[in-house]
Amino acid sequence: MSNQALDRTGARKAPLFGLPAVAVVALLLYLPLVWTTYVSFTDYDGLASPMWSGLANYKAMFSDPDLIGALVNTLLWVVGMVTLPVALGLLIAVLTYGHKWGTWLRLPFLLPYAISGVAVGVIWGFVLQPDGALGQALGFFGLPGAHTGWLQAGPGNTLMMIVAVTWQAAGVNALLFVVGLQSIPAEPLEAARLDGAEGFSLFRHHLWPQLRPITTVVIGLSIVGSLKTFDVVWVMTQGGPGTSSETLALSMYKETFVLNDYGQGAAIALFLSLVTFAASILYLRYQLGDAREQG
Amino acid sequence: MSRVKTAVLIVLGLIWLAPVYLLVVNASKSVDGYDAKTVWKPAGFSLFANFGDAWSKAALGDTLVATTMYSVIAPVLAVLIGSAAGYAIVVLRLKRGFLWFVFIFGGTIFPLQMILMPLFSGYANSGLYDTRTGMIIVYTAISVPFSAFVMRNFFTGIARSVFEAAVVDGGGLFRIFRSIYLPMAGSALAAIFILQATFVWNDLLLGLTLSQSDSVRPIMPALTGLQSTYGGASLPTVLAGGLLVSLPTVILFLAAQRFFSRGLALGQF
Repeated sequence: MSNQALDRTGARKAPLFGLPAVAVVALLLYLPLVWTTYVSFTDYDGLASPMWSGLANYKAMFSDPDLIGALVNTLLWVVGMVTLPVALGLLIAVLTYGHKWGTWLRLPFLLPYAISGVAVGVIWGFVLQPDGALGQALGFFGLPGAHTGWLQAGPGNTLMMIVAVTWQAAGVNALLFVVGLQSIPAEPLEAARLDGAEGFSLFRHHLWPQLRPITTVVIGLSIVGSLKTFDVVWVMTQGGPGTSSETLALSMYKETFVLNDYGQGAAIALFLSLVTFAASILYLRYQLGDAREQG
Repeated sequence: MSRVKTAVLIVLGLIWLAPVYLLVVNASKSVDGYDAKTVWKPAGFSLFANFGDAWSKAALGDTLVATTMYSVIAPVLAVLIGSAAGYAIVVLRLKRGFLWFVFIFGGTIFPLQMILMPLFSGYANSGLYDTRTGMIIVYTAISVPFSAFVMRNFFTGIARSVFEAAVVDGGGLFRIFRSIYLPMAGSALAAIFILQATFVWNDLLLGLTLSQSDSVRPIMPALTGLQSTYGGASLPTVLAGGLLVSLPTVILFLAAQRFFSRGLALGQF
């Protein structure tokens, strides 16, 4: 059979093999996506039919004090997650890379990554109890803050939960940075070392510039991840006290399934999606570019 | 310099292990022997009694069976559906294959929040709400895009002559897929399976939204239920529950670390 004939036979039957994936994705992911988009412009309680309300739900997002609070908290999460776990991940990667026991010394940081967000919430909820493990440790070392109610007021509760997720996420980032470090050619680095570059200067002038692609990916993933923050907050504070630690992902859930304001929930979801999408472009371009080169 | 590095890493590592230490030590205390003022000090070993408590109070038994089902069946289905798509696009040269690929892969770049409400309504109307079948369907759908992504890349690396030879040998397209392409992709299939099984096991949001009864509800929502009834379940019990549900993924992770790092590089999670 000639090549062309082969291609023709293949192409004729190809849709059969592609259909299940396309159908499942269209029905369970894209169709809901379209419905949510429509509902976000309506007043809808899930029972009566949706009533067109234009941009009302979006306006509420920027005028309702609770939702503004959630917006600010979500922003805190984004800023927190692109700084703390990324910086720590980089530090761990640079310190362990090329280290004799590197793989072993990295393990404590990777362990929390294998744990679910719910379990992280359970553990840190326990650590941060008033006069709990953290308080007792601070007291033992004579440090201030032993009696702080870590989760009792905003924005402190959000910051402590960012610490909890940093505990979970730093190791993953370290792993990604190690992959990045491994892709740096060894010879120019050796030459720089011979020229007397070492320590921080070696890092700054020779390693850091070459880590840019992987840094983009890590930051992109951190932004996308932080916008979705739900599990840990749900377990540790349920967004409270009041709404002081609510994130937009949590507001969406509450508006929809607790307050039955489907339109408002949908508007929050769409807003989150747009921001996520914008952030994804940062690293998707890199990923898909990669895929395209291969095929 | 190297000593300073090691010292910094050890100190940081110990800080990182502290919460794990606290979890294990306090999950092991007997409910009566637990004292909120001395959480750092080990006291007794009632871990298995607490496991038992968590098991009965959160109805973890039922939920564990259900969650195990979801974490095995959904990723297997997703792997098959995703590989079929990869096969269609790369090997069979589906028309406008790259566009279809972007369509499938694009299914997961928006947050779950975007699909929760319609899924809930749709499930409620079609009788899929609070059924094991419904949970398997949704977990499969969520896992397909990543699976198709990896399989497409994998099949791209296989020489065209393999397909030509197989056709000349007189194999049907389905048989070529089943007995030549799938077996060759063993490691990629395993990597997808492990990553998606972990995702399903750790899921909270979909379980919370689409199920409520003990026999359908996955394990993470069940654990949050245990946690929120602090009055009913004592702290060591809650912590034992947290430890129990973490063991499978931690063991899987340690056993298959390289698969995880590959998944990371692909941008999942």
